Amino acid sequence: MDGISTYFILITLLFSAVKSGTIILLPTIGEIFTERSGVLNLGIEGMMLVGAFFGFVAAYLTNNPYIGFVVGMLSGGLLSIIHAVISITLQGNQIVSGLALTIIGGGITNLYGYHYTDLRLTSTLKNFPIPFLSKIPFLGPIFFNQDIIVYLSYILIVVMWYILYKTKIGIHLRAVGDNAKAANAMGVNVFKTRYFWTFFGGLLAGAGGAYLTIGYAPFWLDGMTFGRGWIAVALVIFSMWNPLYAIIGAYLFGSIDALQFQLQAAGTNIPSSILQMLPYLITFIIITFATIFVRLKHIGVPKELAKPFSREEK
Amino acid sequence: MFIFERRESVPLRLKIMIPIISIIIGLIIGAIAILFLNVDPLQVYKAILIGSFGSRYAFTETLVFATPLILLTSGLILVYRMGFWNIGAYGQYIMGAVFSSYFAIFGSPDLPKFSMLFIMICAALLGGAFWAFIPAFLKALWDVNEVITTLLLNYIALSILRYFMYGPWRDPTGLGFPLSKQFPLNAQLPRIIPNSRVNLGLIFGIIAAVIIWFIINKTKFGYELRVIGGNPRAARYAGINVASKIIIAMLISGALAGLAGMVQVSGVLRVLQIEISPEYGYTALITSWLSYLNPLIGIFVSILFGAFTAGGYLIQITMNVPYGIIPLIESVILFMLIGGEIFKNYKISYLKRSF
Repeated sequence: MDGISTYFILITLLFSAVKSGTIILLPTIGEIFTERSGVLNLGIEGMMLVGAFFGFVAAYLTNNPYIGFVVGMLSGGLLSIIHAVISITLQGNQIVSGLALTIIGGGITNLYGYHYTDLRLTSTLKNFPIPFLSKIPFLGPIFFNQDIIVYLSYILIVVMWYILYKTKIGIHLRAVGDNAKAANAMGVNVFKTRYFWTFFGGLLAGAGGAYLTIGYAPFWLDGMTFGRGWIAVALVIFSMWNPLYAIIGAYLFGSIDALQFQLQAAGTNIPSSILQMLPYLITFIIITFATIFVRLKHIGVPKELAKPFSREEK
Repeated sequence: MFIFERRESVPLRLKIMIPIISIIIGLIIGAIAILFLNVDPLQVYKAILIGSFGSRYAFTETLVFATPLILLTSGLILVYRMGFWNIGAYGQYIMGAVFSSYFAIFGSPDLPKFSMLFIMICAALLGGAFWAFIPAFLKALWDVNEVITTLLLNYIALSILRYFMYGPWRDPTGLGFPLSKQFPLNAQLPRIIPNSRVNLGLIFGIIAAVIIWFIINKTKFGYELRVIGGNPRAARYAGINVASKIIIAMLISGALAGLAGMVQVSGVLRVLQIEISPEYGYTALITSWLSYLNPLIGIFVSILFGAFTAGGYLIQITMNVPYGIIPLIESVILFMLIGGEIFKNYKISYLKRSF
């Protein structure tokens, strides 16, 4: 294979790696903030499925991908409110509630989804090059010839990083997750903060799911997130609860996903079941090493993660 | 404002009422969900009831679906008692099925039935335990989050199963379907009720539930598990070796899940295929919680959920209502159950502000 075609294959690969990575980047950012506020929501997989499905349905019925995206996002947010009520107000077990969220997401989408299997979206998100930036060799065609959601995700990362570390909102958020009692004494409303960031996490999980059907694979397939929600949960630890590091994890996952997809399309001798295993296997290895690293450095973990707060109980 | 008073003990009335109310609310929300399909929910529930308890055959099918659930639930209860979040029962179940199927597919069909089944059971226990050992070891050694590792291992196990089914273990005479050859007679777990698929696995399940109940309530190991579940730090100060307890409990839990997988392929399906579980892994999580982490109650809750599964399959065929309604109802029940915990832990009363 000559140099020029290798170059183009690599660009195509990394271009779809960014798209595939975005599906998982959005939920990861959302969950980072949910967990920072002290709420553990393991229901990302369920919220993503609901976002993917209702996003698809709305985009299909209105023939407008943007409406679809918003609907998918809101449906993820709506589902997260159940988790918020159970874990914040009723102080129920957050792990079990998150798993129930995953199960209900699979149930709802399976129940209503079979009418929509065999359909395809006719209008999906359009790619448009950003002037000047898209002309940068190598990086331009990979990062700056994408669709609006990918561009918004770049902005989102920077904005969320800024909010977390440089604003009062971020200080309050981190205080609530690290020491709810002290935050309460400071005058921060622990309940409101946790409700808001849980809802925010739900919106972004729904957005990730919606991007899957609207921006990546324009059809509906039962259970089509295939564990991406769980990989997002793992990436939160990998990123050490910092939105900037989430990019690395998400695009790394996107690259593996894109690579296994291209290898399958190219018809290698490696069985597809083994290729499909790769993202999970690599996430598994990464999460193990990331945990060891986090423990060695004692960083990141919100100190009161998954611990309910009760103002009345002194 | 609301006043929360911590309860010293939970009244029995609440312990019974909360699950019942949870199930009723689950069914009501399920009914609303069915209405959106333009189907009469009462007809659907009637069909589920008929499909699970309506005839002798229906009831035996309920027991067939309950069998792996009893084994899985017992295993999960053991580790949930110590606060170890094994979500990987599904993967351990698959590995049990894969390990034992190897002998059914490639073993000699002339081997005496008892020896063959004994080997298969040992292989299943080993396969499940092996798959459970990985996350337990990582948790014990480096505190790697077991929710994530056990879940990822589910997907990895499923890929391994798919690999065998599309590759070396596929039946060459099977028209290309991803199925193994039919298990020979000596690899088929005996059925214990005539004209039904109820098999010896049901007995295994009941024995396992009793043993797990005994371990939890009557042994030092069980006591230590409960201490760890209550407060891991206190357990460490009390001199309990938490790491080794995690590993032992997970080996038992995984072995039981593996046995459940073997029971399903050897006693019910009698081939190895990709679809070997109607979401048993998640369902067992719900049954564990619904039975208050008591394996003996778990037997009856498993039968109830076996009925849901049997009925769910029926409505899919006869009424064209997708199976998704079952996990939907089950998860609402779970939400209600954990949301209802607050009424068990606190006495809540309303007080008008007097200032």
